[in-house]
Amino acid sequence: MSDLGELDRPGSPGAWDDRSQQWLPNEKKPSATKPAAPVNAPTPTTPRRTAADPVKALMHRHQDLCNRAVNPLEIAAGLEAHGITDRTATRFRHRDVFSLAEEMFARATRDAAPSAHHKTTDAPRVRLDWAVLTLLPGLLATATVTALRLTEGRPRPAIAAAGILTVALALRAALSRGPLATPPHHHTSNTSGTSVWTAWLLAYALLGDGLLQTALTGGPDALPTGTTADPWPLTPAPLLALAWSFAPAAWTAHLLATRAHRRLTTSRALDDFSTAVRPLILTTLTLYLAALTPLLALTGAILGEPAPYARTLPLGALLLLARLLTTHGFTHAPATVLMATAATEATATAAVFAARLPGCDALAIPVQTLADTWGPASVPILTCTTAALALLFHASRTLTRASAHTPPEAHTPPEPRC
Amino acid sequence: MRIGLLTEGGYPYVSGDARLWCDRLVRGLGQHEFDVYALSSSRSQEDEGWIPLPPHVGRVRTAPLWSAEDDGVVYGRRARRRFAECYGELAAALCAPGSPEAAPTLEADRFGSALYGLAELARDEGGGLGGALRSESAVRALERACRAPGAQQTAREARVPDLLAVTAHLERTLRPLSLDWYQDDDLGAVDLCHATSGGPAALPGLLARHFFGVPLLLTEYGVRLRTHHLAATDTPPAVRSLLAAFHGRLAAEIYDRATLVTSGNAHARRWQERCGADRAKLRTVHPGMDATPFAEVGESPDCADPDTLVWVGRVEPTKDLVSLLHAFAEIRKEEPKTRLRIIGTPAGPEGEAYLGHCRALAAQLFPDEAEGPHTVGDNPVSFTEIGGPELPTPADAYAAGGVTVLSSVVEGFPISLVEAMLCGRATVSTDVGAVVEVIGGTGLVVPPRNPRALAEACVALLRDPARRERLGAAARARALELFTVEQNTTAFHGIYLEIVSRTPVRRVVVDATGDPLPFAVPAEAHVPGRWAGPRVVTRGTPGWATQAPTGATTPTPATEAAR
Repeated sequence: MSDLGELDRPGSPGAWDDRSQQWLPNEKKPSATKPAAPVNAPTPTTPRRTAADPVKALMHRHQDLCNRAVNPLEIAAGLEAHGITDRTATRFRHRDVFSLAEEMFARATRDAAPSAHHKTTDAPRVRLDWAVLTLLPGLLATATVTALRLTEGRPRPAIAAAGILTVALALRAALSRGPLATPPHHHTSNTSGTSVWTAWLLAYALLGDGLLQTALTGGPDALPTGTTADPWPLTPAPLLALAWSFAPAAWTAHLLATRAHRRLTTSRALDDFSTAVRPLILTTLTLYLAALTPLLALTGAILGEPAPYARTLPLGALLLLARLLTTHGFTHAPATVLMATAATEATATAAVFAARLPGCDALAIPVQTLADTWGPASVPILTCTTAALALLFHASRTLTRASAHTPPEAHTPPEPRC
Repeated sequence: MRIGLLTEGGYPYVSGDARLWCDRLVRGLGQHEFDVYALSSSRSQEDEGWIPLPPHVGRVRTAPLWSAEDDGVVYGRRARRRFAECYGELAAALCAPGSPEAAPTLEADRFGSALYGLAELARDEGGGLGGALRSESAVRALERACRAPGAQQTAREARVPDLLAVTAHLERTLRPLSLDWYQDDDLGAVDLCHATSGGPAALPGLLARHFFGVPLLLTEYGVRLRTHHLAATDTPPAVRSLLAAFHGRLAAEIYDRATLVTSGNAHARRWQERCGADRAKLRTVHPGMDATPFAEVGESPDCADPDTLVWVGRVEPTKDLVSLLHAFAEIRKEEPKTRLRIIGTPAGPEGEAYLGHCRALAAQLFPDEAEGPHTVGDNPVSFTEIGGPELPTPADAYAAGGVTVLSSVVEGFPISLVEAMLCGRATVSTDVGAVVEVIGGTGLVVPPRNPRALAEACVALLRDPARRERLGAAARARALELFTVEQNTTAFHGIYLEIVSRTPVRRVVVDATGDPLPFAVPAEAHVPGRWAGPRVVTRGTPGWATQAPTGATTPTPATEAAR
C-alpha cells in the first residue's frame, strides 16, 4: 500500500535506522483513517456515494422503526422525528414523507415473532411493608387478650376498648396496601358497608353464641361485667385466630394475584384464562382454610377453649372471599351477602328475645329447635356456610374474568407528548 | 355569540399546555361570551388551580380524564345488550383491514354510528358508561371482533393482555362520552364549539354537534394522531395496531364533522389532509407571539456587537449544537474576530448531558484567547442562560449579536426564529420543520447537518452589514404581519363569524306575542357589559338539517317560523 505515510517517512531512502523503527507501529494508522475525508480540505475529495437504492439504506438506518410499524403513518411520524422532511424525501424520489413511509412500510420485513415484542408487565411483588403489616392485627389482638387475662376489675373495659380500637386501626392500615388493598378508583359506598357488616359478624363471633345460649336459657340478667363469671360469655379464640389468619390471607391473595398474572400473560383467549383461573380460586381458599385450622387449634389450646372449627372456618372463608371480590372491583355482591348474613344472625337473636313478649312464643321455635339439635353455634355455622358458598359461586364466575385482573399499569394514563 | 371552548389538559389550568394562546384568544375576543369545558390530565394539574379568567368567561366546567369515577349506575339487561351491540360495532370498525383513510365510507360510518350509539346510551341511562367500558362484556366484544373472519392480521394475534390494554385505553379516551355536559343549558346552549386539540377534547364537540347541531371548529397546533404514533412505541403490535386504527378513525370522524379545521403550519395541515380532512375545510392560522417585548430591540438601529453570532433555544440533542460549533470553527478561519453566544437552558437530564458535551467540545475546538499579553483571555464561545443579570429578557439575548443562527435537525414551529425576526435580526437557519414557511425570503436557509453551508451563509452575512440590515428589517416586517397575537385573534374571529354565518339559526327569539323576531340574535354585539338577550327558545335540530346549505347562508326567519 503506497500511501502518503511512505513519502513522509524520515530518513528515506536508504538509511533504515532506529528513528525509522518508531514509525513502524504508526504505519497502520494513516491507512486506517484514510477513507474519512480530510476535514480541512476545501472541497470534498470524493463525491458523495449514492447507492442504486437509497431507500434501502434509509430502511437499514431505521430498521427498528420499519420492523415495528403497524401503519405507514407510524413510519412517517418516526422519520419526521429524525429530521426527514418532504424536501429530504425528494432525494428518495418521493413526493413527500408519507409516500416514502408507504414504500418503506411495504418493503419492510415484519418478523413473524410477536413474542419478541411481547412486553410483559411486572407481576405484583412481595414488599416488606405489607408483609410486616399483615402480622400486626394478630400481634395486637394477642396483646389485648393477654392484657385482659392478666388484669382484673375496673381497667378491663378500658383495655378491651383500646384493644379493639388498635386492632381495627391495624386492620385498616394492613388493608391499605398489599394484595388485599382496593385499587383507588374502586372506592364506593359499598366498601364502607362491607366493613360495617364485617365488624358486626366479628362481634357476633365474639359474643353471639354466648348471648344466644343465655337468651335461650332465660338470661341475661345483668349487663356485661367483664369478669370471668360474666353473664355475657365471650369467646375470643375465633377472633384471635382470625386476626392471625390475616397474614395467610394476604399471602394466598398474593399467590392468586401472581398466578393469575402469569396466566394472563400466557393465555390467548379469554376462555382459556377463565378455565385456568377457576382452580386457582379454589386453591386459594383451600390454602387459607388449611392455614386457619392450625391457628384455631393453637388459640383454642392456649386460651383453654374448645377449638371452634365449625364456627370459624366458614366465617373466615366468607370474609376472605368478600375481600377478594372487593379487591377486584366487585363491591356490590360482598356487601349484599355480608349484610344478609349479619341480618340473619341478628334476626335469630332478636327472635329469641321477641318470643318473651306475650303471644309471640312461636318466634323462638326455629332457633330453639336448631340450638337444641346442634347447639347455639349452628346459627352462625349455617348462615356463614350458606353465604360463603354463595360468594364462592359468585367468585368463580366473576374473578375468572380477565377484566378483573387488569394490570394496574393499564389504569395510569400516559402523559401526552406534544 | 357564545363559544364553547373545549380543552384537554390545557386552558384554565395553571400548568396547561396551550394555556397561553387560549388565554390571549379569550381576552382578545371580549365581544363574545366564552364557556370553557376543560378536561384535566392529572390530579396535580387539578390541584394547582386556574389562571385568572376574564369576566366574559361565563361558565367553566371541568372533568378529570385521569380518574375513572364510578357513578353507581348499573345497566339493566336491555342497556347491556345495547352497549354490547355498539361496542361490538366499534371494535369491528377497529379490526377491519385497511388504513383509516383508505376506506372512507363504510367503516367510518360504522365507527361514527357506534360512537354516537355509546354516547346516546350514556345520555339515556344517565351515566354508567365508564363501568360498561371496563367490563368483561367490552373485552369479550373486542375479542370477538379480533377473531372474526376478515379482521386484520395484527389484530388477530391479540392476546388477553393486549385486549385488556386496548379496552383500558379505549375506556380512558372515551371518558368524555359519559359526561353530563350534553344538556340544553350546557353544550346545547353554545353557538359554536371550538376544540383546542384533537382526540378526547374534540369528543364533546362531536357530541354537541350530534345532539344539538352545534358547529365544531377544530384547532390543532400539534396533530394528535402524530403525537400518538410517536408516544406509543413499546406496546405490543396488536395493541398499537388497534389503537392506531382507533385514533385514525377518531381523527377522520372529527375532521369529517368539523365545520372548519385550523392548523398552525403547513406540516400539520399536510398531516390533517393525510388523515382524511377535506382540503376545503382547512385553514392555517399561524401561532401568535407577543411582539411588544421585542419592539425596542427590533426598532433600534444599532447593534450591540455585529461580529457576534447568537443561538437561542432549549439545549437538547435535536438542536445539533455540535454541528453549529463545527460551523463556527470554519467561520473563525474566515473571520477570526467572530464570537458565538449559545443562550439557553438545558431540557431535562439529556439536555444537561448534551450541554456538558458541547461545552467540552467548544473548549477543545477553541482555546481561550486574550486581546493582549497582559489581559485575561476567554473563550470565543460562551454559554449563558436567559434571566441572569447580563441577559434579563429574551429580547436582550437576540440583541447581543448581529446574526441569529438556528442549527436544529428536528423542529416544529421554530419560536426562537420568530423571536429573532421580531427583533429584526438577520438569521441563518437549517431547512427543517416549518422554518422555510416562517422565514419566507427574509433569512438564509441551509440544509441541516451541513456545517460548511452554515458557515458559508454566516460568513456571507457577517461580511455584509447592509444585507444584514435589509434582511433583518424584512424579517421583522414579515413577523409583525404574520406571527402576532393580533393576527391570531383576528383570524379566529373571522373564522367564528364565517362558521356562524353558515350555520342555521338554532334559537328562535320570540317577542311578547310569540312571533319570531328576525335578527334578534346577532353574531356579535358591541354593547357595554354582558349581552342579555330576550326570551330564547332552544330547539333541537335533527343532525341532517344542520349541514351548511350550499347556496343561501342563513335560512330566513319565515321558514324558521313555519316549522
